[in-house]
Amino acid sequence: MDSSNQQQMPKALAGLRVLELGGGAAGPIAVRHLADHGATIIRIESRERPDFLRILGLSATNKNLDAAPMFMMLNCNKLSVALNLSDPRGVELAKKLVLWCDVLAENYAPKAMRKWGLDYASLVKIKPDLVMVSTCLMGQTGPNKDYPGFGGQGSAISGFNFLTGWPDREATGQHGTITDSLAPRFVAAAVLAALLRRQKTGEGAYVDVAQVETAAYSLSGWMLEFFASDEVVERDGNRSRVASPHGVFPCGSNDRWCTIACHDDADWQRLVRAIGAPAWALDGRYATLAGRKQHEDALEQGLASWTRKRSAEEVMTSLQGAGVEAGIVETCRDLNADPQLAHRGHFHPVQHAVLGDHPCEALGYQLSETPGAIERPGPLLGEHSAFVYHEILGLDDGAVAALIAEGILR
Amino acid sequence: MVRPLDGFRVLDLSDETGFLCGRMLAELGADVIKVEPPGGDAARRRPPFVGGTADPERAVTWLAYNASKRGVTLDVMRAEGRGVLDRLCATADALIETYSPDAIAAAQLDYATLHAAHPQLVVCSITPFGRSGPYADYRASDLTITAMGGNMALTGDPDRAPLRCTMPSSYYHGGAEAASGLLVALLARAVIGHGQHVDVSLQAAMVATIMTGASQWAMDHRERKRTGASYPVGKTLQREVWPCRDGFVSYALRGGAARIPGLAATERWLAEEKIDAPAWEGRDWTAYNHNDLTQEQIDALSGPLHELFARKGMRELFDESVKRGVMLAPVNDAREIANSAQLRSREFFVEVDDRGRDLKYELPARFARMTPYESDVRGAAPLLGEHNAAVYGSVGIGATELGELRRAGVI
Repeated sequence: MDSSNQQQMPKALAGLRVLELGGGAAGPIAVRHLADHGATIIRIESRERPDFLRILGLSATNKNLDAAPMFMMLNCNKLSVALNLSDPRGVELAKKLVLWCDVLAENYAPKAMRKWGLDYASLVKIKPDLVMVSTCLMGQTGPNKDYPGFGGQGSAISGFNFLTGWPDREATGQHGTITDSLAPRFVAAAVLAALLRRQKTGEGAYVDVAQVETAAYSLSGWMLEFFASDEVVERDGNRSRVASPHGVFPCGSNDRWCTIACHDDADWQRLVRAIGAPAWALDGRYATLAGRKQHEDALEQGLASWTRKRSAEEVMTSLQGAGVEAGIVETCRDLNADPQLAHRGHFHPVQHAVLGDHPCEALGYQLSETPGAIERPGPLLGEHSAFVYHEILGLDDGAVAALIAEGILR
Repeated sequence: MVRPLDGFRVLDLSDETGFLCGRMLAELGADVIKVEPPGGDAARRRPPFVGGTADPERAVTWLAYNASKRGVTLDVMRAEGRGVLDRLCATADALIETYSPDAIAAAQLDYATLHAAHPQLVVCSITPFGRSGPYADYRASDLTITAMGGNMALTGDPDRAPLRCTMPSSYYHGGAEAASGLLVALLARAVIGHGQHVDVSLQAAMVATIMTGASQWAMDHRERKRTGASYPVGKTLQREVWPCRDGFVSYALRGGAARIPGLAATERWLAEEKIDAPAWEGRDWTAYNHNDLTQEQIDALSGPLHELFARKGMRELFDESVKRGVMLAPVNDAREIANSAQLRSREFFVEVDDRGRDLKYELPARFARMTPYESDVRGAAPLLGEHNAAVYGSVGIGATELGELRRAGVI
């Protein structure tokens, strides 16, 4: 669906007002679920202590807070107002924005919001139907609540690092500070549930999401097996207990790879036919899952000798054509050329004042009748300050000038 | 106690790839009814099993991800069963499904058919690539979804094949993503007056795990590679996972306002341990920028850290780091997570009293605390057909009809 059509369609969350405090990835990504569906998002930011993503990847000599790609890509569809919360007058203005909003989303360490008097207990007194969500690494309570951590630590603490790697080698973890992408999906779900309740009853809510807990909750199967057996399931490369072959195979010689998985004996028979029924594959020891698991090393070598002579594309299309699971290990370049992602319009082009043209990524789901849209690039720091100062806070030019002079609106 | 989604009903026709979505909605308060074929869901037949012996009522994956739901059996592939499903749909707000395209066609479970008969219904499809497009008919489990979602190429050691996570992480990303999409669609009913299709692509959900890597490639055409336990930062390769005496810890030599106090605290720690660390001593941390360092400088900073970590165990390193404000984390396994003081203090694990199976086990209780609402696990996963009488009774299928459907093998 082209973007002009999307912009004309009704938006699921049109009229919803969201105030966002904090930075990094996990909080802001969660808010995208609201932003992409038509809510108005105002991020409170300050040059006094910029979001670290605004400098991520930049050299020490580059002081441009509007030039870091990841920040802009994660924060499209949002407005930015400059407001310095280290001054009590800045906090008072923030409280006025709390009165304006329906949802307050923040991902500071727990002590920050209390220090400013912007904690839920204080804000619910002035805004009884507020839906507020706090998401930090460890949660708002407990002995480690103030532990400063990013997604890298979250992946380690919650088990995802331990579970990724070869059995004979050190844990490597999955790429990409995994709780930063996992936790926001849970944050969004909790906030949306609170909004459904509010739609019905008018009541607000306070939501405390510990990023580490969303990851450990996801791993409920791993945890239950431990509780039931007192044994820890270890990382096992790409293998599976319930499928064989189940691995990643070299294609050609240029670090190209393709997955192959057989989930039952019929899959295996299809695979054998698809690769031309070579003599080794017809060996009866591979006919059952138990046999394939027992002789998995030899099986994988046999398959690799077939895949190595072919391109990853050829392996995928020929095996999928035969009804066997197989897929290219897609690089970032491949993702940009992936016809399925293109079909979904997953990479949406935006024009940014500093970065120029670049893509922003859609959410993982598409709604048929209120598809939402990516309509504006990530905001420059304070890009929408004038709008917020005048139209929402009701400040006149003189008051704005005075507050700027005193360093409160920066 | 009230839950935020009290009053909503969700039919969960998913397989393992979508179990998590329904569990989340159930704990948020929806009446989630797991609909499985009369012979039981495939996940009931897959190991591991509690107690080690194959038993469809003791399959770990089933128990872990279907907690808090009710359960009925129904053969939706047969006309009589499909008719019963329509009667359930008439009472439901949403339906979750993960069928293959063949099954969708055979049982007329496509969105257009469901929507025509049940306009109020939100239909959430959780599939590897989405319901339309060139790969819509491709087969894929977590292995291939992780590969085609771009995460795998960046995970693992450079001298071996790219890697997935040993637990199916794409089902977790996708399940939670689906829950969010489904809830947006429920909210949208107030705008458009009816339900709609929520088309989840697990592949697209996984692209987000590489944190805009694919979009950045479109700008700089710089191909990122898997680098094992290290991470490419600036012009260098920096360790993220480090060996210690009894396992591994996560620690990054990165700067930025939030991290710099931890680096300064690490310098003091190295000094107290009397570890020779000339690259650390007397450095102006406020001017530290990891993007500007050379590999030689990174290696000089890394050596003393290896020495510190080799001296100590994971637990000790973490406890000390919490005290000192150092951003270090243990690479926990399930045992350490189960014993975490932080998680225990938040009552994160609760014992499920599973009387139907004569079992007791702990499960992660919740993914969010919600004042003033309850959001904890509501009870054990359903036994096969456990709620047939109650659920079918609620849509007017009495004992006689139920008996007939049972004899016909539909229920």
